[in-house]
Amino acid sequence: MSAPDIPPPPAGVPARAAEPPVDPRGVRFNAALTTVVLALVLLSGSGWLVAAQAVVFALGAFAGLRFAPYGVLFRALVAPRLGPPSTSEEAAPVRFSQTVGFVFAVVAAAGYLTGLTTLGLIATAFALAAAFLNAAFGFCLGCEMYALIVRFRSRFGPGNQHTRQGATA
Amino acid sequence: MSTMGLLVLLGTLALATVAGLVLRARDGRVRAARGAAGPAGGWALAGHDPGEHDQVLLLQVSSPVCAPCRQTATLLTDLASRTPALVHVEVDAAEHPQVAGELGIMRTPTVVAFDRSGAELLRVSGVPRLRELESALAPALGA
Repeated sequence: MSAPDIPPPPAGVPARAAEPPVDPRGVRFNAALTTVVLALVLLSGSGWLVAAQAVVFALGAFAGLRFAPYGVLFRALVAPRLGPPSTSEEAAPVRFSQTVGFVFAVVAAAGYLTGLTTLGLIATAFALAAAFLNAAFGFCLGCEMYALIVRFRSRFGPGNQHTRQGATA
Repeated sequence: MSTMGLLVLLGTLALATVAGLVLRARDGRVRAARGAAGPAGGWALAGHDPGEHDQVLLLQVSSPVCAPCRQTATLLTDLASRTPALVHVEVDAAEHPQVAGELGIMRTPTVVAFDRSGAELLRVSGVPRLRELESALAPALGA
């Protein structure tokens, strides 16, 4: 499969380019696997493991969901056994959630690897909570909190109401 | 293995489970008004002047990255099209952060209902449960 190269958007801003809808079961699978990995990070305290998870998030968030490693795994191993999906889900919210996950994973990796273990623990716990809520309840915390993030940014950020056009799909 | 990590893991899973159950129970439910639309009222926030027969405004605050927002928009567009006195306006929290701020909205989608005078009637976060919403709005619609 050849895919056109999409330039990576700035952090926190999902790409504007329309992506094909995704299989919701793949999204849940992705969240479940992320939950397991982040739980292992907490148990092992491994900065490298959470750094690897940050790369996984980055691929989905910046390169596109078709490059998300767990998604590739889902399509190769799980989807063929499930049959065709009955519904589909828009890609933009999922991609946004991967961006939020990426930010937390990077902070966590930086914390663990520089000896700020408490920072690593807290950032990993936030990412784990979000992934678990998605896997177990189907809630996309990053997406739901988007309004709050925007409010916060407009109040405290440098007058940027019109510079964030890329965030509006 | 990190003991602290194990404790954080168990604590996080417990808190997230409680949060998930609360969110699920509240999702789509009609809640009481918070009455925070400011002096101008909901119609001004929506940038929409009530027409002669308009009785109730459903102001939906959405974000571009939100799957349930699309479902809610479809649901409410349909409801408004078969309810003459009902107006549905969707605003994007990213484009109008002041609307979300004024209404104290934390989640998208949140739908806030206003009467003709612009006073808040009720609000719903998540995809509204249609029957519950319709019966809650019935008095204001004069049905």
